[in-house]
Amino acid sequence: MAYNDSPDNEFDQEMERILQEHFNAEDSGLRAPSDPWPWLESRLEEPAAPSFFSRLLGMMNPMREGRLSPAFAVAGVAVVAVAVAATIWAISGDSGPEGLAVVQETEVPANASPSTVGIGATSIPRSMEVTRIVAEEVEVEEEQAPVATEVPAAMAMSEPTHIPAPAATTAPAAPAATEAPAMAMLEDSESTPYPAPAATTAPAPTATAAQATSAPEAQGAMAMAQTAAGPRGPTGAAGPQGKGVGGTPPDTTFRDYGRQPFVAASEDNVSTFSLDTDRTSYYLALNWARNGYEVDPDSVRAEEWINAFDYRYPPASGKQDFAVITGFLPHPLEDGKLLAQIAFQAPELVDDTRLNVTLVLDASGSMADGNRVDIARQAAESIRQSLRPEDRIAVVHFTDDVIDHYTVAHRSPDEPRVKNSINLLAPHGSTNVQAGLNLGVSMADHARDLRPDARNYVILMSDGVANVDATNPFAILETAYDTDARNPLRLITIGVGINNYNDVLLEQLAQHGNGWYRYLDSAAQAQATFSRENWLALSTPFADQARAQVTWDAEVVERWRIIGYENRVTPDETFTQDRKEFAEIYSGAATTVFYELELTDLAQSLLVFPLERIELRWVDPNTGESRSWPGESVFAVAGWGGSPTPVPPLDQLGAIVALAADRYGSLSANAGVEDYQAVQRDLSTLLEQLRSLRGDLGNLDAYNDFLFLLDNITGHVEERLPPPTPSGYSR
Amino acid sequence: MTDNEAILRCQDGDRDAFRHLVEQYKDVLFGTAVLMTGNRAIAEEQVQEALLSAWRGIRGFRRGSPVKPWLLRILVNAVLAQQRRRTIEAVRFNDNGPEERDYGNHDPAETLDALENRIALRRAIAELSPDHRQVVALRYFAGLTVPEVARTLGVREGTVKSRLHRALAILRHQLEESALETPTPSGSSSAGLEGG
Repeated sequence: MAYNDSPDNEFDQEMERILQEHFNAEDSGLRAPSDPWPWLESRLEEPAAPSFFSRLLGMMNPMREGRLSPAFAVAGVAVVAVAVAATIWAISGDSGPEGLAVVQETEVPANASPSTVGIGATSIPRSMEVTRIVAEEVEVEEEQAPVATEVPAAMAMSEPTHIPAPAATTAPAAPAATEAPAMAMLEDSESTPYPAPAATTAPAPTATAAQATSAPEAQGAMAMAQTAAGPRGPTGAAGPQGKGVGGTPPDTTFRDYGRQPFVAASEDNVSTFSLDTDRTSYYLALNWARNGYEVDPDSVRAEEWINAFDYRYPPASGKQDFAVITGFLPHPLEDGKLLAQIAFQAPELVDDTRLNVTLVLDASGSMADGNRVDIARQAAESIRQSLRPEDRIAVVHFTDDVIDHYTVAHRSPDEPRVKNSINLLAPHGSTNVQAGLNLGVSMADHARDLRPDARNYVILMSDGVANVDATNPFAILETAYDTDARNPLRLITIGVGINNYNDVLLEQLAQHGNGWYRYLDSAAQAQATFSRENWLALSTPFADQARAQVTWDAEVVERWRIIGYENRVTPDETFTQDRKEFAEIYSGAATTVFYELELTDLAQSLLVFPLERIELRWVDPNTGESRSWPGESVFAVAGWGGSPTPVPPLDQLGAIVALAADRYGSLSANAGVEDYQAVQRDLSTLLEQLRSLRGDLGNLDAYNDFLFLLDNITGHVEERLPPPTPSGYSR
Repeated sequence: MTDNEAILRCQDGDRDAFRHLVEQYKDVLFGTAVLMTGNRAIAEEQVQEALLSAWRGIRGFRRGSPVKPWLLRILVNAVLAQQRRRTIEAVRFNDNGPEERDYGNHDPAETLDALENRIALRRAIAELSPDHRQVVALRYFAGLTVPEVARTLGVREGTVKSRLHRALAILRHQLEESALETPTPSGSSSAGLEGG
């Protein structure tokens, strides 16, 4: 074999020759020992096989017009008291490597400016400080241990490695268009020699595919239940086929929303946006990169990338309060600019209500494939174990019909019959999900009647791959569910197995059933997903129609720009209006937003000044009441002496994620060489900075996944450039 | 049947055509997977998964593109994803045991020296870092060009070249080292795969 681009170096040439001989000599050892064909042949039909959901669809009654219940049976009354964060930062020239603002951590006397609105600083162990403000009172509550370095070390680093679920396990659910494999191929064959493996028909999130489909792994007390929420996604999803740098997966439709520009604060200093906890865009990108696709820049929604990560914010102080957390950090890319990080943390679930759970388990033959049954069994068993004695659980097995002798009506989770029934899950026969679901729903309905104060969940587990172009076929569920709008049955659907990236109907069943959908590909993930804190948090909305308004102080902020949130930014005047398109936020979920800021000269000379004012509004899903919090000013401290505390690695990661998504997402189909060059420079810089965090974050799956993704997209951008300059040695 | 004809037929659902492709590429896929993972059982699984993914994605294959790099890219992604999932220690490439016995073809005519050299090099390859092992496998075993390797791995060509250069330098160094000691056929190195 001749290597026509062999190195000039004669040592290398010699070594190449040795290797070549070596591999020739090794030949039989590196040859496939067995014929993979028999294994393969038995599986080739799978994708084409009609799923049982197509049959389900056929059986469904005609839709009935009706409204999904907005009522959420969550105990508790919301009390409005929102924590606000005051962050202290220093912009002294020597305070950071870039000479930019660096967060100051010590006990800065924010209330040292008594003429301003009351605000108290407590030392939250981050780059930011949180204060709690009640009405107009000046009130300070200590919320966290004062030592900056201790708590984050305990919280952030002693945790298991995962933040959000690894994306290999995610299957962002697609909207209706699942079959027509219209390939979005670029004209430029040079740059995209690799066809997109269409098998997995990578899905496009649309307004109907709002749920990020990767379960956050439970993390003990820090379990972050971020889910997709609310009305979102490119509603105009019928746009052109995915365009961009190429190799785009089929069946994807994205809309380029453009980017938010820099705004002069003197002209407009108000930024209004819907909160968001969706993460689909990030997991899509990760999946594509792993499957050899190029990530379509139009698919990148920076806010979903940002919100895919768990920044371990301090918990909200009250059970009914959002915590608002702000921080500032040096701009990773541009000297003289600053990044503001603002986060809204919903409180963890108040777990004080009894549960009625109905498991509906697919025992059909296809579940024999791989470890599907094991995953489903593990998930079912984890659910059982997550229940308390006062909860009730029922189990339904179905194949071509319900397996009566395995079915267990609602009873205590500790009773042996329940566990036995779960253990008996085994694949045989064909599939009739309607039978299973009908029985499950009627049993759940009955249980609800018996225990009207309990929350009700029907959990369907199946390997169904949906190929059907469904629009709104689930009115049958709706009719079953809305008999008591104040206490709905919530349908949770769980897809199991590998390579089912197309579970549209499972996802839609969940969405129409007021529940959520997850795709599980391992028993470990099943276990983590169904820890009690995790799955209950996912199942319990905390706030609806949540949106925020940030008002910059034009004296201090010269220009500002929001990163991402292109289709979340709304006219300022809508802030006071409750609107359906604002997002639903689940218990324990956090939304993070980054702003790029340029400060005025005045800011450089002040010691303490109000930088921004944050206001929040939402609707309490339990009562339907509008809630608001009048907002409070956030103070920045300039030129604070002493040694600045470094920005926590997780926040640095957030900044890198935000800017990487922002810059990569800026590439449109018309991007020219200069655009690619600029993006390539930025991404390379970010990649280097990301690598420098390896020591701190290298144990987190989320970090390693993102490192892979950033490396991947940077490489794709580089491929677009004119002859690449040879780099030195790798890493 | 050329690759292109096979692809066309596969896209029409012709399994025989796919079988033809499988026949043609299973060895290069398997060998690459063994070199990357150091474990024949895992390699077999990954090759199966990769081929299945390829079949499922065959309709998206762009006609006229080279087939081998495409398959290798799917394989590499499968292996990398699998490795990320496996946080447990990597299985040693050249452990004492069944792996050792069925790995090489021990030609009776091969001199003891040659065998020793081969085992030394095998061990040196196994001890390369994963990044370096990948490029060596794709470039010198699978026979991809540097641009193809770059695209398969999603890195730029310069990166591939520098990795190759460094990997070759390491291998040369290792061989020189092993020439000083006496390599044993068992190749009982204590270094794990993930070393380096």
